Amino acid sequence: MAHTLSELTASASRLALVGLAKNTGKTVALAALLRELHEAGRTVGVTSVGRDGEEHDVIDFRIEKPAVELVANDIVATADGLLRASGIPHETIERTGIRTPLGEVLVARLRGAGSIEVAGPSAAADAREVADAMLAAGAEQALIDGAIDRRAASSPSISDGLVMSTGAILGEDIEEVVTRTADAVALVRVPALEDSRVRELAAALEPGSGLVLDEQLNTRALPASRFVLTAEPPAVQELLGEGVPPRWLLVSGALPESFLRSVLAWARRARRQLTVVVADPTHVFLAERGLDFYASGGVELRALRAIDLRALTVNPVAPASHSFDSSQLRTLLAERIEDVPIFDVLHPAYPGARAPSQRAARRPAAPIVTNRDAQ
Amino acid sequence: MSRELDLQHVRPYADHLGDGLVQMSFTLPVPYSLAARKAALELAAKMGFEEPEVVHYEQLTEGYTYFVMYGRCVQSVDFASLQGEGFDIEYMSEEEIERFAERQLGRRIVVVGASTGSDTHSVGIDAMLNLKGYHGHHGLEGYRAFETHNLGSQVPNSVLLSKAIELSADAILVSQTVTQQNLHVHNLTELVEMVEAEGRRSQLILACGGPRVSNELAKELGYDAGFSKGTYPHHLATFIVRELAARSPQPAPYGSAGDVAAGDDGAGADAAAVTG
Repeated sequence: MAHTLSELTASASRLALVGLAKNTGKTVALAALLRELHEAGRTVGVTSVGRDGEEHDVIDFRIEKPAVELVANDIVATADGLLRASGIPHETIERTGIRTPLGEVLVARLRGAGSIEVAGPSAAADAREVADAMLAAGAEQALIDGAIDRRAASSPSISDGLVMSTGAILGEDIEEVVTRTADAVALVRVPALEDSRVRELAAALEPGSGLVLDEQLNTRALPASRFVLTAEPPAVQELLGEGVPPRWLLVSGALPESFLRSVLAWARRARRQLTVVVADPTHVFLAERGLDFYASGGVELRALRAIDLRALTVNPVAPASHSFDSSQLRTLLAERIEDVPIFDVLHPAYPGARAPSQRAARRPAAPIVTNRDAQ
Repeated sequence: MSRELDLQHVRPYADHLGDGLVQMSFTLPVPYSLAARKAALELAAKMGFEEPEVVHYEQLTEGYTYFVMYGRCVQSVDFASLQGEGFDIEYMSEEEIERFAERQLGRRIVVVGASTGSDTHSVGIDAMLNLKGYHGHHGLEGYRAFETHNLGSQVPNSVLLSKAIELSADAILVSQTVTQQNLHVHNLTELVEMVEAEGRRSQLILACGGPRVSNELAKELGYDAGFSKGTYPHHLATFIVRELAARSPQPAPYGSAGDVAAGDDGAGADAAAVTG
């Protein structure tokens, strides 16, 4: 039987919502979740690492954004000025002292219903703190909405589950959207590292450091601090090419694409397998190639902590540009992505609650372009 | 026409309150001619201006005509509903910033700046950081309180972040021309995400600047502040010193040594001594 977003995510006390780009329908997914949770009588806590519920897009003023509708007893973490501007009666639970460009973040319990702009803490660790504060104050679930393409809040050190949003905005060609989405999903689902001895070594790493291990787990330190951020290909070649061939490379901080490219170049030349271990998938920065590309050259990725991806939502419309047929997009995505429910929450086939006819439900008209490749 | 300021219906002002008069200039890629003048009038009318008027037009170069126009704007904005959103920061002068930094922080503030990714525009960063500054306001390099490192343009995020960590920077300033293309936005968010991945977010002030960067956009991008056109170096400097003071776990005391709060550490006492 068909499950709804709220059913699939119910067991994640702190749920992150992350988009692959602007206008992928993240806030629409949030609005759908909120409707379902409200219908089930659940008390919700909401915050955003960006800003949600604003009327117009911050970059393209022509784009109308969905509202964030909350009800009495819901808890919200947002900037003080936005809380006041909402006009919703509320009781302040905590002044967090967290400053944002839009003001200090307050945690408050609403005493009435209404729409509100939500702009909570920008830093992931602060988002975790207010999520915990909202849960402690009686929220049954804390929703942490992302912004643009920021992923940090989906780190397992911040949230317990993830809903990802993708959409037509990723490309004018439907195949491009499907490929980029499949790559992003694969990255989010980097499997957890199983070898307990390697796990132990990875967990003990200082922030921003790294370690090379051979098959026997003999360790070799990286030649310089911040090596992973800045090393040129010859330096990586030298590190991996010397002595006993490495089997594992542990990285505690950020793993940029340029570094992974250099590792791949070594693995191809040396015809060896190497597993790169990161703290979690939010530490990996890939823009050009997906994990398949690296795996085919012998470089695999593992994470100390995996992300629990609960669902993928789809916006078939790229505002002021083009759109795809919703069913076709979801079908093509499902062919490439296994074991993740894929929804368009505004499509009649979606099993969740219907949107009231408000801003939240309006989808701008854009010409439907047919799929060029798949025909 | 109303002569009393109505904050719920604010219009441009020229001769008297509420007249809505707007002066604008633009160039059309058409030859300098009466037809060009007509085209400009029609375009202004389509923009929604009433009584559009061409007050000046000239040939810019062959095939291009430059216009200065007046028009009456009939729209208004509800300013009353916008007040109280965010915070209006009071900017300090250069001397005030130096004194504040000396008292509250007692050390030099390290700022690393760059135009990131594929952006080749370094004008904004140069104006903020370099001694030369602009419009007679010199950049942070000229302040005693700041140590600046301008890495230039087209700097990868990983390199910028590495430099900031190496220098134990207090703040990173990036400039990026934000367009509706996701690429530019992605460059800005990627830096924030890398700072998070390196576990440095709470130790670094992140500020971004560019022609279209507002505080609202900065918030979405994950930055602590956004600066756009009209920003001078002392605006940025005010923000950085205030933010650092607010973040320091044991803020140094304000004013004279007599004001030293109980439990202040040695650093606080030192800072007070400097001002005393």
